[in-house]
Amino acid sequence: MKFFKSLQAKYMLIVITALFFVYILFLATSIAVFNINGHEELETAKIEREWHREANAIENPSMITELFEHWTNRYPDASMFWINEKGRLTAHHNLKEDYPPIWDASYTAKFIKERYDNDPFTVIAFVGEEQKHGFLVYEIPRDKLEQDYVETNSQFLSISVPLGIILFIFVSYLFFRKIRKRLVNLQDAMEIRDNDGLPIAIPVKKEDEIGSLEHAFNHMVAELRKSRKREQEEEQLRKELIANLSHDIRTPLTKIRAHSYTLQKETLSEQAQESIKNMNESINKMDTLIENLMSYTLLHANKFEFKSEDVDVVRLLRTSIASWYPLFEKNGFEIDVQLEQFKEKEWNIDPIWMERIFDNLFQNVIRHAADGKYIGLRTESTDEYDALIIADRGKGMNASSTEKGAGIGLAIVDMMIKTMNLDWKIDSTNNGTTIKILRYKSFEKAV
Amino acid sequence: MVNILYIEDDKEIGEWVYESLKEHGFNITWFQSGEGIEKQLSKTDLVILDVMLPGLDGFSIGKRIKKARDIPILMLSARTAIDDKVEGLSFADDYLTKPFHMEELLARIEVLLRRYNKHEKVLQLKHLTIHMKDMLIINNETSEEIQLTGKQYQIFQYFLRHLNQILTKEQLYEGVWGEPYIEGDKTLMVHIRYLREKIEKDPANPEIIETIRGIGYRVRK
Repeated sequence: MKFFKSLQAKYMLIVITALFFVYILFLATSIAVFNINGHEELETAKIEREWHREANAIENPSMITELFEHWTNRYPDASMFWINEKGRLTAHHNLKEDYPPIWDASYTAKFIKERYDNDPFTVIAFVGEEQKHGFLVYEIPRDKLEQDYVETNSQFLSISVPLGIILFIFVSYLFFRKIRKRLVNLQDAMEIRDNDGLPIAIPVKKEDEIGSLEHAFNHMVAELRKSRKREQEEEQLRKELIANLSHDIRTPLTKIRAHSYTLQKETLSEQAQESIKNMNESINKMDTLIENLMSYTLLHANKFEFKSEDVDVVRLLRTSIASWYPLFEKNGFEIDVQLEQFKEKEWNIDPIWMERIFDNLFQNVIRHAADGKYIGLRTESTDEYDALIIADRGKGMNASSTEKGAGIGLAIVDMMIKTMNLDWKIDSTNNGTTIKILRYKSFEKAV
Repeated sequence: MVNILYIEDDKEIGEWVYESLKEHGFNITWFQSGEGIEKQLSKTDLVILDVMLPGLDGFSIGKRIKKARDIPILMLSARTAIDDKVEGLSFADDYLTKPFHMEELLARIEVLLRRYNKHEKVLQLKHLTIHMKDMLIINNETSEEIQLTGKQYQIFQYFLRHLNQILTKEQLYEGVWGEPYIEGDKTLMVHIRYLREKIEKDPANPEIIETIRGIGYRVRK
């Protein structure tokens, strides 16, 4: 990064400017004033020079009166008088003060001392070339003269200094406001998320400290994306691995089924028929087990896609039982469906997951509660919750059938239900099992 | 006779399906890969397709077939992941996972053929004879034709297309009317009552359109 592009450099510039600012203002103002006014001769100097020249040029007393008249035209406010070589106030014009008629040495000295660099502005010049005819005095109040440089300068300063300071404060304010604005914008930009939930890169406009911060942030975003991509690739790999594994197990299972089917058509002893039946059941069990294991692994690693939407859950349950109906019917079940629509009929769930849950639960009823020959579906609504109820009249889960393996299916159901912010309750006795899938109406309950 | 094109690379499974379908009266042609099936397509009524095949995979083959001819495709695969099913069903009409029961495969073939009207031209339903092609419904007892109104006809046809399936009120309503079912709407019930009055022997005890309590209706063969 170039030093001069940096904020530090800009800040230093402002601080240094601040330190010397008043001096610079003085200097700058003075130079400016001098450039505008200073080149012209000051009026006082001009008067002094001309008074001396004209006084020196006087040859006889009559010229003095002419001189007075001539100067009065130019400066009506000025006073003028002549003290002759003997110290007598000989001629005067427009006198403002009472001067003694005879000027002795001490009075003259006092007068000169008093008037030196004072108001009124006073010029004393000797008369004639030889300076033997006394002196001429010219006096004029300073306020009748054009202002001199120092006064003009101080007047300008009284305006330029406060103005300059205000300007300085304004510039500093702008500087920090700009930085602040950029930081706030940066923060906002950092909080923007892409579709995939990752932040997006920020365009870098300036190569200063904030610019390099933005670069660093962009770098981080790129790294994040890379790691997300890697994660997705791993996820894909895992999914494929599991899918392939399950495929590779299922293919030989299908072959076993094919052979058992072929065998079944032969004339076989009762015992052989029985073992073919058992074989088929084992194939079924294994199939379910692979399916569940696969789901469980994916679910457990949070790799099972979860897409929630508003779903009419009662309708979903009805459609689901409709597809299971023939199987229950074939097994001689009494199918008791009494589903009432909930007031809030839509649940925010993943319909595929929910169907999966229903499938698992129905499958369990067929596998483990076939003795009860009953499946009941009901709805229940209280102030606290809405619930779907699936009931059977089997021997219950504890005593239940000799078949194990329901566990993993239920674990999947449990995980899916919890992920969808639902709850469930199992009430299992020797006379049957009732499963309630609950959706609490107030959010606190669900947590 | 119904012509089925079967693509499966596994010999044991292939033989089993081939023999079983032949026994059930289908004219089946079995390929071990997607190569050379093009010539068969024009005389094929239904395709059974495995996914994991040498060369082109089943999904690609299926998509090509669908593009060439609109014939029913049944995917038969040991890949059970939802992603696979979703991809398969994006073009295929059904997806059956291995290991499967031969009965289920046969049932699903029936459903697909019926949906595509490739199957029985004449359907016997209790006391009714239905000519599927022109939807002529004859009462066998009186030998008279039963005339249905437009909506009754649509509902009945929807049932026939989903023979043996239980249809919920929502499915039926949305399938026939093409708009979302509103809870409590009696239109469908009224139409079914009139339909039963026309086709059932005893509308009070319907045999053709069964009521499945709490779920919906079903027409069973």
